Amino acid sequence: MKRTLIAVSVLALLLSGAALAAQDGVAGKCMTCHKEKSLGLYNQWYNSEHAKHNVTCLDCHHADKADVDAFQHEGAWIATLVTPKDCGVCHEKETKEVTASYHAHAGEILDSKDAYLAHAAGGNPVAIAGCESCHGSKVKIDPNSPNKLSRLSWPNSGIGRLNPDGSKGSCTACHTRHAFSIKQARQPEACSKCHLGPDHPQKEVYEESKHGNAYYTHTDEMNLDAKRWVVGVDYYEAPTCATCHMSATSKQPVTHDVGQRISWTLRPPISVTKDNWKVKRKNMQDVCLNCHGQVFVDGHYAQFDGLVNLYNEKFAKPGLALYKKAKEKKLGDGTANFSNKYEWIWWEIWHHEGRRARHGAAMMAPDYTWWHGIYEVAQHFYFKYIPELRKFNDPDINKMIDEILADPYHEWLNRPTADIKADIKSGKTQAMYEDMYQVNTK
Amino acid sequence: MKRFQLFIRGISTNWTGTLGVVFTTSAFLLFVIFELLHVAGILTNSYVGLISYMALPALFIVGLILIPLGWWQFRRAAGHSTSELLTQRFPDDMTKAKRLGSSLLGTFVLLTLVNILFLGVGGARMLHFMDGPEFCGTACHPIMEPEWVAYQNSPHAHVRCVDCHVGEGAGALVDAKLNGLWQVISSTFDLYEKPIPTPVHQLRPARETCEKCHWPDKFYGDRIKTFAKFGMDEASTPSFSTLALKVGAGTGEHAGTIHWHIAEANEVRYLAADEQRMVVEWVEVRRGDEFHRFTNRVLDLTTVNHPVAAENKAMRSMDCVDCHNRATHIYKDPESAVDEAIAAGRISRDLPFAKRTALGALLGNYRDKDDALQGIDRSVRGYYNRTYGARAVAMGSDMEQMVGELQAIYSRNIFPAMNVEWNTYPSHLGHQDQAGCFRCHNRDMVDEQGKAVPYDCTLCHSILAQDSPERFRFLMPAGEKDPDRKMHLYLQQEFLGSSQ
Repeated sequence: MKRTLIAVSVLALLLSGAALAAQDGVAGKCMTCHKEKSLGLYNQWYNSEHAKHNVTCLDCHHADKADVDAFQHEGAWIATLVTPKDCGVCHEKETKEVTASYHAHAGEILDSKDAYLAHAAGGNPVAIAGCESCHGSKVKIDPNSPNKLSRLSWPNSGIGRLNPDGSKGSCTACHTRHAFSIKQARQPEACSKCHLGPDHPQKEVYEESKHGNAYYTHTDEMNLDAKRWVVGVDYYEAPTCATCHMSATSKQPVTHDVGQRISWTLRPPISVTKDNWKVKRKNMQDVCLNCHGQVFVDGHYAQFDGLVNLYNEKFAKPGLALYKKAKEKKLGDGTANFSNKYEWIWWEIWHHEGRRARHGAAMMAPDYTWWHGIYEVAQHFYFKYIPELRKFNDPDINKMIDEILADPYHEWLNRPTADIKADIKSGKTQAMYEDMYQVNTK
Repeated sequence: MKRFQLFIRGISTNWTGTLGVVFTTSAFLLFVIFELLHVAGILTNSYVGLISYMALPALFIVGLILIPLGWWQFRRAAGHSTSELLTQRFPDDMTKAKRLGSSLLGTFVLLTLVNILFLGVGGARMLHFMDGPEFCGTACHPIMEPEWVAYQNSPHAHVRCVDCHVGEGAGALVDAKLNGLWQVISSTFDLYEKPIPTPVHQLRPARETCEKCHWPDKFYGDRIKTFAKFGMDEASTPSFSTLALKVGAGTGEHAGTIHWHIAEANEVRYLAADEQRMVVEWVEVRRGDEFHRFTNRVLDLTTVNHPVAAENKAMRSMDCVDCHNRATHIYKDPESAVDEAIAAGRISRDLPFAKRTALGALLGNYRDKDDALQGIDRSVRGYYNRTYGARAVAMGSDMEQMVGELQAIYSRNIFPAMNVEWNTYPSHLGHQDQAGCFRCHNRDMVDEQGKAVPYDCTLCHSILAQDSPERFRFLMPAGEKDPDRKMHLYLQQEFLGSSQ
């Protein structure tokens, strides 16, 4: 029995050795051609950490013959698509974190308003080249394609890509292939492929802020390619997106779950606190405290909370109520969502302008908070949204509008300027917002 | 002697006749003198051949035509019969009938025999001269200058143009001369294209030309070639790519090698979409009863330069020139020309940034050849004097050598008068700068099952170094920590396992 066991294990060892040697040979062959045909790719890899750790082509690209996206190439079964499942063979912790994160769900937007609008008002080409390039496509298989991937879903490195192996996401969304440079992933540009523009200008907000200013001044001094990158210890000049949302502090390990330090969600029409928001806020404040005192940090959060509450209470809640009522009563000539002008106005108020104000306040960009933010929200609320709704001359809507405008927040519209100025001077106007500088208002 | 003087005077009837006599006589005498000088080894300039074997016989013939023309004019003007005129023009004793005809007739017959002899000798010498490369290369200067210069610097410099371009037999000779007639016209009236397009369709069959010297039984196995490339850094650091090209004989033990394409047992045929045969529509192999065709699945005729009209499309069986299309007429690309010069020591790496400076000077935007030769000089000396100040003095001889070499490279490859620039004439050998092998060996040339013509790197060559610091990098042991260790071992095994 023992002898059989030894024989079997020796045989298994030999076989696995042979298989390994064969695979080595194939990986050597990959490089031989790709060094010629795609020298840039080869050099990116050659100088990468992967190369230093003997991670070669097939370690990521090998496939089982049974995989739907597997194809035979120069004697090996490979797949073009490298999914978080593949990366997770080595990067187990990171894969778990990113799979649990909001990022990994970004591809499930096909039923959302955003995707509805892109498909209905735009069309599939823009859904593919626009939305899905950030959010991730549902990868389709095309048996006639050389790499079995439909050209409508490959290339795609959207962060919530729905992969044929069931995994969600795409590590290359941030870790650009084939260098997988840690330095590149730590820079704000890694995030700003997607986090920019009229509806969520995080990149522009960051650039306007003191954080961005300091970063662009000191980029070269920030040890961006150091293996360990603890804020305050390995660098202290400025934070990047990664610093606050992901990277290590002396007390917290690095996390690939980007939501772990975010207390408000600034995405929906009305901002709400996230589950377990107190812990998450504490996590973020732990980052802040490396460079700021507790009083400074508390002050920032009070100002930030104030802005979010202002937006919520003064514009978002009445605006959303009006929208829901108008939809409920099927006002307007159009029957579909987004077939009436008032819907587009409301959409831009919350989805563009309202988010800009909130993001501006979250990350200290005054111009985005006011001129690109609340200023636009107010102007469009008073002089586009309400007049558009008034046109329906619907008694319920009119009644709601009258009530809203009679609210202390809005009654200034019908008061003499001198009185308002006097109230501002005396602090009476400001007092209306007194209870807003905390998370739970009223 | 007197008789000949009288004869000559007699036929110099008028201006036309006199001119004919002058032409004929002087052409004859000059030819004899030149030929004597040539035989004596005093005249060696090949251009003299143009005069003695082309111009003088031509002049001679013109003269011979003018003499009877003059006589005919003279007779018409005089209104007398020929016999009357003969007695009038020549002394009586010359026209007097003798047993073997008159003395005049004798002189005439004798001189005619001399003429025929001369024309025979002259004609033979002319044909012989026209068979020589000097005639082909210089008679139509500057049209042929690019090819003539390239040829003189080529491995075939000692093979005559006509050996490949005319072939053997009277038929080939007549063809070539008729063809040449058009070339004389087009060069006289400037009707030719600049640059001259490669005459891919007029080439003689390779079986009759190339294979006279290079017959497949004498092909050999792998050919190991190292290409040195120098960096743009201060030291012009070399890196080496060494290939073991699986050239082979295409038959027997070496069947699966590059010359397989032209082996007797195989026939590779293709249909080209363009005149220059750069784009292949399909390619097929016939071997006994075996037949396998691969079709270009991404062919877009609208993107093809100089497409062949549908009715002119003709299938072609591969022969030597389908790959060796620039055998002899080799033009270098600037970078490899500079690399070769550095490797051969004709440009010194002691000069800082030698490669970068040389390439920069060579690639300047020059108006014409004179401007280029001066510009290269200015560019090189200017750079070193400006950058290195007093230290440039010590670089003087290296600089001079570099300038000379670059001017030579320029003169061998660039011909502004004929619009021949860098890479005007693509080479099909290999695949470095042009499609070459990849015209057929690519992923889009597929059979009915969608399987492509094999195109992996080690199909045609083992790789013993690739931009590596050593010439035979991959034959040396691989470092444990080398990122490319797997490739290194693979290539080592591949070479050792496939070497022929």
